[in-house]
Amino acid sequence: MVDFAGKAEPGTTKKYKTGTWRTYKPILDKEACIGCEKCWEYCPDSCKIETEYDGDIIFDTDLDYCKGCGICAEECPVEAIEMELDEK
Amino acid sequence: MKEIRIHGRGGQGSVTAAELLSESAFEDGLEAQAFPAFGVERRGAPVKAFARIDDEPIRIRSQIYEPSHVIVQDPTLIGTIDVTKGILDGGMIIINTSRNPDQLDLNTQAEVVTIDATKLALDILGKPIMNTALLGAFSGATGIVSIEAMKNRVKARFPGEIGEKNALVMDKAKEKMEE
Repeated sequence: MVDFAGKAEPGTTKKYKTGTWRTYKPILDKEACIGCEKCWEYCPDSCKIETEYDGDIIFDTDLDYCKGCGICAEECPVEAIEMELDEK
Repeated sequence: MKEIRIHGRGGQGSVTAAELLSESAFEDGLEAQAFPAFGVERRGAPVKAFARIDDEPIRIRSQIYEPSHVIVQDPTLIGTIDVTKGILDGGMIIINTSRNPDQLDLNTQAEVVTIDATKLALDILGKPIMNTALLGAFSGATGIVSIEAMKNRVKARFPGEIGEKNALVMDKAKEKMEE
């Protein structure tokens, strides 16, 4: 963080890891996830990552950027995401 | 003169904490001032807030560079910001964390006090707003400002149930400091 005006390189948002803001973190039940993409659509921080689990497409979370807002857990149609207190 | 610096993130109530702290000191018959300093006015961005407390009129108006006390609302700021910067020897730093002082990598001569203020706030308020818990801890750990004045100020500022709950949080935090 700089607290003065200056020149910024492109792509600095990637370096700004907002994951530290969390109070809660999402825990994914990989078995339950049906890969429907809803959490990916709704995530305000674009931190849902498409991965593979057991041959199926699932969506997990990039905890470097997740602010723990809980929208994904709210929107998940199969309730595969639990919000859990993130110890700091 | 006691000079207090509060580190937090936008939205955690650091500015409110500084104001409540100085109002409480004023209610205790002391002279006080409070003012904030932010870089980016945005939720989550690092915020500093300051309070000065003295038994004589305070003439100085600058930011606080050598605090006697530091309050850290969010332990993840420790990696980003030098929260111990300028703290006086024999000073105190109160940190909101679930860990013990010896588990924190702080290079400081000051006394380090920790309290799990987030958990306390979640238990009582149901929201991770930990500023009043840290104020209660400050009162308990330093005795500079009375808990009664603090509870009066928080109830005056947040009338009704919210104020009452926050006063309870302050009491609980003070108790934790005395354990």
